[in-house]
Amino acid sequence: MILKYLFAKNEAIPVGSAAVFFGFSAIVWFMIGTGLGSFNAAKLAFPDFVTGTEMFAFGHMRQVHVLAVIFGWISMAFAMAMMYITPILGNTRLWSEKLGLWNCMMWNISLLMGLSLMWMGVTSGREYSDFPWPLDLAVAAFISIPLAVNVWMTIIKRRTQGIYTTNWFFAASTFMLIIVFLVGNLPEYFHLTGLTEAYMTWWFAHNVLGLWITPVAAAIAYYVIPKVTGNPLYSHRIGHLHFWSIVVFYSTPAAHHLMSAPLPEWLKSFASVEGVLILVPAIAFVSNILLTMQGKWNMFVENLEVRFTVVGVLLAIPLNMQGGFQQTRSINWYIHGTGWMVAHAHLALLGFSTFLEAAAVYLGLQTLMKRKLYSLTLGNLHFWLLLIGFSTYWISMTIAGLIQGAGKIYEVPYIDVVIAEHPYMIARWLGGTMVFSSTILWLYNMWMTAREGTVIPAGRMPHELAYER
Amino acid sequence: MTWVFDKPLHTLTHEETVQKSIRLWEAEDLGGMTEDNNRLPVPVVILVLLTVATAFLTTIPLWGQRPTAAIYAEYIKVMDTPEILAIQEAQGDAAAMKRIVEINKGSEFIAAQGRHPVTMDDLRILKPQIEAVMELPAVDLKDYTVVGPIVKIANFEGNFRPNGKRVRQQPWWDKGFLIDVFYLSMFFIGVTVTVKRLPAYHWQPRHHDADPRHGDRRHKP
Repeated sequence: MILKYLFAKNEAIPVGSAAVFFGFSAIVWFMIGTGLGSFNAAKLAFPDFVTGTEMFAFGHMRQVHVLAVIFGWISMAFAMAMMYITPILGNTRLWSEKLGLWNCMMWNISLLMGLSLMWMGVTSGREYSDFPWPLDLAVAAFISIPLAVNVWMTIIKRRTQGIYTTNWFFAASTFMLIIVFLVGNLPEYFHLTGLTEAYMTWWFAHNVLGLWITPVAAAIAYYVIPKVTGNPLYSHRIGHLHFWSIVVFYSTPAAHHLMSAPLPEWLKSFASVEGVLILVPAIAFVSNILLTMQGKWNMFVENLEVRFTVVGVLLAIPLNMQGGFQQTRSINWYIHGTGWMVAHAHLALLGFSTFLEAAAVYLGLQTLMKRKLYSLTLGNLHFWLLLIGFSTYWISMTIAGLIQGAGKIYEVPYIDVVIAEHPYMIARWLGGTMVFSSTILWLYNMWMTAREGTVIPAGRMPHELAYER
Repeated sequence: MTWVFDKPLHTLTHEETVQKSIRLWEAEDLGGMTEDNNRLPVPVVILVLLTVATAFLTTIPLWGQRPTAAIYAEYIKVMDTPEILAIQEAQGDAAAMKRIVEINKGSEFIAAQGRHPVTMDDLRILKPQIEAVMELPAVDLKDYTVVGPIVKIANFEGNFRPNGKRVRQQPWWDKGFLIDVFYLSMFFIGVTVTVKRLPAYHWQPRHHDADPRHGDRRHKP
């Protein structure tokens, strides 16, 4: 239905169309991404599961799962948040709904092509930047640049003098994503090899997390908590500390991913200090949001969007404690290349950021479709399945990682390590499958919200109405 | 945009600019969002300072260093002595290695040897490589790293020695840390200047009359 607006005049396109398109696309990609994750986890838990077909081999499917989640779920949920929050904060309309719709459609097509090629084995072979170079250029041309143009132009055309904190992050992150994507993929355009390739690969991977996913997820919290609780943001000036420290301290420690590589040691020392300093933006962010909750903690129980957001913010604490210290030489020596890192990556993407994005999608779709959530029960079920599934995954993989670390250091035969971590691989599969199941429920709930959710009267917000089911 | 520097810890902005910011802050509706002007709570300031101290303390190169070839030179010197060969013959490699460690208890490298233990098999692999290095002119074994089974020139670029060779040893205070000090200083100066352009934290906006607190949500520790 939305596709009919692709060739309509911008003024004729209903406000929020692009955001709704992005919102539903994000949930569908989340379902695909977590479904692939569950499938991959099953292969690790039960080695005889689906064998003999090359395309279903773990090596073919792992990166499809990772990029479906990063560029499908997370980034499209971000785009959705930007499409509706940026104009609201500037008291204006999105600069171009039409560009937003085209952006979303081309995004879906590019991602589908990229993931299909990777599934068939056409890949750069570099973790996180696995797309072959033509797809990299397609991502820049059809995904990141149109998104950035729409966000920047909406901010430039705003009807306010000031710019709210959330929009600082949106504007900066969309800009930084373009730089990260184009520079991070240089090894492929120019066939750079060796250490240069390794460093650039991890510069890309680190900054996709640090300059895209982390700040945009935080920006969502800066919007959702004050908006839904009605409290003012606790501190504008702490927002400054957060914003600048994330730009300065998160952009520099890429070398800490390669602590055992023959990079210049001064670069590793520098990166390692900066790596611990990632805790500075984390402290600023968590304190600012939790202090904004003062007097409204009842909403943590009663309101679904606030609950998702606060859990995401709370997960930023273990995330940054792990991230800050696991990259130091002594700890990295033990946990590098083990399941600990897999657990940490899921804490970042499935814990911290997914909870914040889910809050944005819940709030955004209800607001834009002017429909109250179809079922609170399904919403609650989604929340608890996601939280329990994620926690099961995170804890089991952390333990498996510590076992692998011990096995690595004490030179335990590999097969003994595999046997020791088998129960945790089963727990990982169970946790991942719970997350996948919760996403199916979520998609159903949002679909039903669009069709049968109670209409929200003009001038009211979804959280001002009581849940009916 | 006038800057004033007479009370730098209070504000860097001319009063007229402060009043303009205050009027804008209270009057403007950013999509219904409001913001307070609280300072960073003191416990959070302490936490930030603690983080900075921790960042340097936990990352100095003392921790997690690779072993240098120098720490095994003494082991290699004694591994083929009659005493060790006799123990090896009678009780095996483990007992021989234990005796080698005992003999070197007074070594200046005792801590590094403790952190990087080796077996007799390791020593047999390392011995010819370390001996080859020792035959080079004007060599310092501390310039060589042991990476698994390989002895190779260390990946550090220190000052030049009088003989023209570089020092290949990581000082406890690396030049990466000096860059960090510079970087951190610039960051904190930059953020302080930015924040001091805002109205001082003693002032709080009054967001709307319906709020019983009248916007007064100053942090009172």
